[in-house]
Amino acid sequence: MTEDVSRRDFLKRTSGLILGFTLGGLHPSAGAPPTLGPYGPPDDEIDSWLVIGEDGIATLYSGCCELGTGSSTGLLQIMAEELDLPFDRTKLVHPDTNRTPDQFVSSGSRTIAYHGRPIRQAAAEARQALLNLAAERLGAPVEQLVTDNGAVHVSGASSRRLTYGELIGGRRFDLKLNGKVKPKQPGEYKVVGTSVPRIDIPGKVFGTFTYLQDVKVPGMVHGRIVRPPSHGARVVAIDEKSVAHLPGLLKVVRRADLVGVVCQREEQAIRAGAALKVTWSEWSGLPDMKDLYATLRGLPEYPSGYPQKNPGGVLDRAGDVDSALAQAATVVKASYESPYHHHGSIGPSCAVADVGPEGATIWCGTQTPYGLREAAAKFLGVPNDKVRLIYVEASGCYGQNGADDVVIDALVLSQSAGKPVRVQWSRADENGWEALKAPRVSDMQGGLDSKGNIVGWDAHTFGFSGYSRPEYHEPKHGGEPGSLVTAQLAGWTEPGLEEGYSGAAGNFTPIYALANRRVIFTYFGPDSHRGGPLRIRVGSMRGVGSPDNVFVAESFMDELAAAAGADAIEFRLRHLRSDRHISVLKSVAERAKWEARPSGKKPATGDLAHGRGVAVLGTDNIFTGEKDTCVATVCEVAVNSKTGVVKVERVVIAQDCGLVINPDAVRNQLEGAVIQSISRALMEEARFNRSRITTLDWASYPIIRFPDIPDEIDIVLVNRPDLPPMRVGEPASETIWPAVANAIYDAVGIRLRRLPFTPSRILAAL
Amino acid sequence: MNLRLNGKLVSVPAIDRATPLLYILRNDFGLQGPKFGCGLGQCGACTIHVNGKPVRSCSLPLSRISKGDEIVTLEGLGTPARPHPLQSALIEEQAVQCGYCINGMIMESAALLKRSPNPTVTEIKAALANNLCRCGTHLRIVRAVKRAAGASKASRSI
Repeated sequence: MTEDVSRRDFLKRTSGLILGFTLGGLHPSAGAPPTLGPYGPPDDEIDSWLVIGEDGIATLYSGCCELGTGSSTGLLQIMAEELDLPFDRTKLVHPDTNRTPDQFVSSGSRTIAYHGRPIRQAAAEARQALLNLAAERLGAPVEQLVTDNGAVHVSGASSRRLTYGELIGGRRFDLKLNGKVKPKQPGEYKVVGTSVPRIDIPGKVFGTFTYLQDVKVPGMVHGRIVRPPSHGARVVAIDEKSVAHLPGLLKVVRRADLVGVVCQREEQAIRAGAALKVTWSEWSGLPDMKDLYATLRGLPEYPSGYPQKNPGGVLDRAGDVDSALAQAATVVKASYESPYHHHGSIGPSCAVADVGPEGATIWCGTQTPYGLREAAAKFLGVPNDKVRLIYVEASGCYGQNGADDVVIDALVLSQSAGKPVRVQWSRADENGWEALKAPRVSDMQGGLDSKGNIVGWDAHTFGFSGYSRPEYHEPKHGGEPGSLVTAQLAGWTEPGLEEGYSGAAGNFTPIYALANRRVIFTYFGPDSHRGGPLRIRVGSMRGVGSPDNVFVAESFMDELAAAAGADAIEFRLRHLRSDRHISVLKSVAERAKWEARPSGKKPATGDLAHGRGVAVLGTDNIFTGEKDTCVATVCEVAVNSKTGVVKVERVVIAQDCGLVINPDAVRNQLEGAVIQSISRALMEEARFNRSRITTLDWASYPIIRFPDIPDEIDIVLVNRPDLPPMRVGEPASETIWPAVANAIYDAVGIRLRRLPFTPSRILAAL
Repeated sequence: MNLRLNGKLVSVPAIDRATPLLYILRNDFGLQGPKFGCGLGQCGACTIHVNGKPVRSCSLPLSRISKGDEIVTLEGLGTPARPHPLQSALIEEQAVQCGYCINGMIMESAALLKRSPNPTVTEIKAALANNLCRCGTHLRIVRAVKRAAGASKASRSI
């Protein structure tokens, strides 16, 4: 670890340098360490967010977890812009509960869009403070001063300049954020809106980047955990003699059903973990996998998980949908199903913990530093401030994989061994114990009048939560260990957090003008996946439930278009009401050279049938009600009628995500969202037997490979500097499943309503 | 036992010879290029070169290494001061997201470029077919390999 100098130490060390030139009462307590509250440095002080060194380099103390998306680069662009500082004079400190403010959960593609805001404001206020400081030093009114390239000078007289280093270098601003300083207008931007190369990429291609998996601390030894064969199995007996002879063994650890080994070296821990004989009780409480969707429909509703404003899971209701459907000229009914998915992070979860008598230090790859820190502190029975959690970027994370759970493993093993322990999950540990993307069933009914317009929309989906993390949802701080499967294994019996369906209902409320509509999310709470008839752990994965919701809504929209004999885009345009939706849909149609005609009418030539499908989404943010990203996607597929293989050949996306901070980073995210989502659409399905998950490696859980990726992903970024930055990666990913399903329908005239669209399902349908 | 690692002769501690090379490289020699991904030889994140050929180090026990075998990791392939054309090309194309797979992509592609200096897109995809990327950076990686092939050709012609 190169950044092991704590922020307190940094400010303490620099405090000596500033004696004697405290300015104008600006630094009454210069050099004093920031007061750490129960959730870190106070987020209403400039000094909590950024520090400018004597060299003029600004360091951002980010509360956001960089998950491999390049968001750190974007946050630095935002800070550099507001400070009027060249990008290459910025640095970033990743979340660390001793050093960085609490920015809750880095999820939902929200880092730039939401968590960038306080950073922008802090930088804007820091720039104003620098102007005020310079006014005194230069003896000029602040209105005559400008900032430029990391220095302040009198407008039109750039020879009289003071650098930021000269003005504040190494000292505290000691200013509360007042919210009154206005950040720059988009027309003034120089760094924001440019494709600054990502700061992390060189280190990653040269092998010098330190991932979480690379962290080594002095005295560290290696642990491996030995999981039960199923989620319901319990320890009956452990035969420690089975490993006693193995070299390097330091400890066999058991706490309730959490079992592990600690060894001097990593390969020794792997060997000892594999060799340890544990007798487990049998458990086979899962349904036959072929009955998954019937089981899902039969689960008990969890009424307390609904927010006050949506009792009964009614997301949206207007008009009289029953009468409208009864009077419709045509009624279409369809049901859709989507399975469990693995996250598929290439590197399985890992954590290092060093537990001492007083507290602990944790290195991990969480998305919720302060929530997990509190969960860990509760688990250890110590106050929050006795646990320091340091975030280190891990292998790519697409939601709630095992990153939080493995921390409990590391705590238990370290506490027992009395040394810092690194725990690396195996591929099977990850696939077997991460929180999977939840399955879903949905029932749709729609009515058309004689002109082919929608007169009734009745949407009902049945599913789990999108939030089973150990952290309370913002703005409430804190966390609970009970949400973690490893804490449960270790005998923690207090409940986890109330999950609520929230994010899982995303983008199910129609974007279309529908006078008679009813949209219901029937929610199954934690009881059903923690201990009930579907005891398979679920949580958030890229888009949470939105990909399922959009698959249902936009597939069904296509079914209605087909029933109306209408072109899929013309039919959508006829029913859309928002200019931004209409704009992206028209853009994608133009770029894709969309041929207006009813889908499913194209004659096949030979074995290969070609088709195109569209999907559009855009919604107001479910948490804030603010405008959010709009995206429209066209997928072009080739379906081989002999083999059943679907190849997505070309994807065209038009996205309006407001102000774009870094266009190339946005394109990189969109390309990734497309490819991962195609993989999930065509081949992914986590499988289980009566006891356990069985897709424990890449052979049993294939993901897309190079030969099967699209030939082209063509992206139209609708530039909207008049709007704030919005979410980037997730929305596009949510359009892919329906766009592919709709393209398959266009190609071969079959409507696939169950994911994934495997060759055997295609052949069966043909 | 001695190993020829990134052009230097290094000494391996006395450990179980069944130990996969991956753990020795990472833990004894501090090489962070090769990554643990699956331990099954399925994903490619741990790829190294043994005598110029790409090998999955997670599944290569020390006992299979012979005296005189040349082992090269990502760190030995190129450095910021002397980058391999692929490393430069990946930066140029910004062909990384989380980057956990990128070691394997580079090592596998470097071997491809050695045996086929100017590969077609189809050849690149076939060569990387057993290297998994979950972030979906595939198109950029293919472009970077094409770019590196062009750069190699240019540098040879100088």
